Amino acid sequence: MSEPTPEAPRTEPDGSTQPQSVVLSVRGLRKHFVLHNVDGRQVDGLAGIDLDVSAGEHVALAGSSGAGKSTLLKCIYRTYLPSAGTATLRSPTGPVELTALADAELAAIRGRQFGYVSQFLRAEPRRGALDIVARAGIARGMDRATAVEAAATALRRLHVDESLWDVYASVLSGGEKQRVNLAAGTISAPQLLLLDEPVSALDPANREAALELISDLTAHGVAVLAVFHDLDAMARLASRVVVMRNGRIVQSGPPEEVLHHLEGVAR
Amino acid sequence: MTLVSAPRPTVLRVDRLGKIFGSQNPAAIEQTGPEVGSEKTPDGSSVVAAWDVSFDVAAGEAFGVIGESGSGKSTVMRAIAGDHSASAGSVRMRRRDGSTSDLLTMTQSERRALRVDELAVVYQDAADGLDLNVTAGGNIADRLTAAGGRHFGQIRERAAELLERTEVPLDRMDDLVRTFSGGMRQRVQLARALANRPPIVLFDEPTTGLDASVAAGVLDLIRSLLEELGIAAVVVSHDFSVIEMLTTRCMVMQHGRVVEQGLTDQLFEDPQAPYTQRLVAAARA
Amino acid sequence: MSATVSETIDWSIPTEGTRLDALVEPAVEAGILDEHAKRELRRAILTAVCVPGYQVPFGSREMPVARGWGSGGLQITLAIVGLDDVVKVIDQGDDEGVNAVNLRRLVTDTTGATETTEVSEATVIQTRHRIPEDALEAHQTLVLQVPVPEPLRGVERNIAELGRMHAEADYSRMWVSLYEDKVRNGVITKSTGYPCLVGGRYVIATTPIPRWDVPRLHRAPFLSLFGAGRERKIYAIPPDTDVEPLTFDDVPFEIEKTPGARCSLCDATEAYLIEIPPSDAAADDGRWICSDTAWCRRRRVEASQS
Repeated sequence: MSEPTPEAPRTEPDGSTQPQSVVLSVRGLRKHFVLHNVDGRQVDGLAGIDLDVSAGEHVALAGSSGAGKSTLLKCIYRTYLPSAGTATLRSPTGPVELTALADAELAAIRGRQFGYVSQFLRAEPRRGALDIVARAGIARGMDRATAVEAAATALRRLHVDESLWDVYASVLSGGEKQRVNLAAGTISAPQLLLLDEPVSALDPANREAALELISDLTAHGVAVLAVFHDLDAMARLASRVVVMRNGRIVQSGPPEEVLHHLEGVAR
Repeated sequence: MTLVSAPRPTVLRVDRLGKIFGSQNPAAIEQTGPEVGSEKTPDGSSVVAAWDVSFDVAAGEAFGVIGESGSGKSTVMRAIAGDHSASAGSVRMRRRDGSTSDLLTMTQSERRALRVDELAVVYQDAADGLDLNVTAGGNIADRLTAAGGRHFGQIRERAAELLERTEVPLDRMDDLVRTFSGGMRQRVQLARALANRPPIVLFDEPTTGLDASVAAGVLDLIRSLLEELGIAAVVVSHDFSVIEMLTTRCMVMQHGRVVEQGLTDQLFEDPQAPYTQRLVAAARA
Repeated sequence: MSATVSETIDWSIPTEGTRLDALVEPAVEAGILDEHAKRELRRAILTAVCVPGYQVPFGSREMPVARGWGSGGLQITLAIVGLDDVVKVIDQGDDEGVNAVNLRRLVTDTTGATETTEVSEATVIQTRHRIPEDALEAHQTLVLQVPVPEPLRGVERNIAELGRMHAEADYSRMWVSLYEDKVRNGVITKSTGYPCLVGGRYVIATTPIPRWDVPRLHRAPFLSLFGAGRERKIYAIPPDTDVEPLTFDDVPFEIEKTPGARCSLCDATEAYLIEIPPSDAAADDGRWICSDTAWCRRRRVEASQS
């Protein structure tokens, strides 16, 4: 099923894009944790993030562990409750303030207007891969036949062998699970896609196919905000790299520029 | 391009539900709760089993209620189911004809009529939701005839369909439920609960007491059914994995009060209240 | 106290022509039931007629028949007959069975009503097991002796719950038992006391009549009164009332029929026949005769006259 997609935006020299096609606008986002059971200790996750992601743009978050990359993604998806700031999704029906939405409304647009693909597959252990991916499509509003077809296409694309399609997900390897997860998360391209290390467990050949799929999404106008530990992947996919440290953005620019600095600082 | 989501209608709205056992003394409310550390008053004359409980559930959504024993979660479920009366609040339900009714103001017979095809309950102990001395098919026929079904062939067909969907072997359709294992009984209970396609289903500890592998199968089944049938569900459990697998939003109860409410994944990964953090940490351990 | 009262009252004062006279009329034979008892019974019967199929509780008296032997039917008959009534009593369709004879004599001796074995002459017909083959008319009343008035007894024991089920017309347990019966046996096997829906509202036990007689209750021109003495309940089917046997839409209600059976006395095939055990028969086994003895006898008389 194809629907008209917005034009891929023009990329400026500094890597930013035209404001009209901005899909996600993060302003002043903060997150701190209070660990009540560890004598009320407070931990700062994000110290104030301003970030825009436009349609057709792939923004990669880089930085060492603990820099706040996953925290940022989770705050946008609302798996974490932001402590302050806003994250606005510009949907076809108007701007949506994600941090202020009621739970039920947020649950309704998750998976539809914006999606999140984590490192790990979380599915019932006794479901087959095709079933998992097809159900993701059905949950997005596809009818069964279309969903099954789209699921088959996605799995083939990611080189998940047909013989595995009916096997219980619990017995799949880590790499197989991750590919199923990616297929499920991208089956119906949302406006905004958040990716949290979606290819970490894949070997080079499978990684290739996965990266191609992700790259295709941006070509079709999806706004992508992703965390990769893999510099190559970042170099290949990102139109802009944003470096984080201690919960702040410390650098932002096109990959050639930014990654050069990061080499040797990777991990 | 994305598929735009249409807002789903709220089907069940619980507003400041409360249940006090014993002396209906308003002072009992201040004397109990999480800050006090008990749902019983110091003099033991009242138990504030649940107080000020509010939440709503939309069609196709599963809402979880988590708590330890004494939290009030079962009280909430029974008040909605009509197995107990309530002391305060309202439970508004959207009816098939589009109107809204407050369950708590209905007569017992009106509530019983509701339980035929608008609200179903799946109990922890299948014996509470089934007649053990009747066959698997007969338990389902009970609901179908209660709804006015009078055609034997169609009743058989529908019963077989439901048993197949809940993965009960068809050659056991005419066996007395008494002869079934715990996991099979739960499946028959599910089939019976869904017989008349109720828009709302309450699950009370649906897999507690079952062996782990059996429980996994039943949970899996419940999850598929919820997805397929667009049911509005309330799932009560002390087991985090059950809540995590089945629900998108949930609330945590302690000593009869709601301690925290939110998206299920958020409650588990970023719990705010000290009690919730303790519970999650214990569950993760 | 002073001298005893009897010494000071003159009992020889005549009462004729005085007000006292009017009170001291020749007494009607008290019979077995006094007027209060009859009145209470009639009230119960009236309620039963006004709410077809509803089991009305009544103050069942001790009768000169043992409980379980027709005390309920007997009380109804005694409450409704008068000097102008003609009473027929049958047991298993037979007027001459010991029980039928005793009950009939009891009724006629204590009420002054007359007795008969002919349906056409009777105004009240009391029965334990059959509805007579002859069609009853609007002026006749059928009184049935009922051992177990509660149709749901097989599926529920708790009295409060039974009351609720009837009150809310919640007969799902009954339907389940019919379902289970059909599943287990391929057919619905209830033979007597088949549950029927009366006036679209209450389910009754048609005990003690066989399935053969059940269709004859539907929109019958006569009144049927059911009395259960031991259980203390009366219920009624007024004339022209719908009586539908409970069955599934695709499982037709069947009456008992043995193909080829005919009465060996009057040759009837379209009557309820009972089988004589082979040892009682002269030569052949499996002889059939009519259950309704009076009807059979009349047919034989008519046949020999023509």
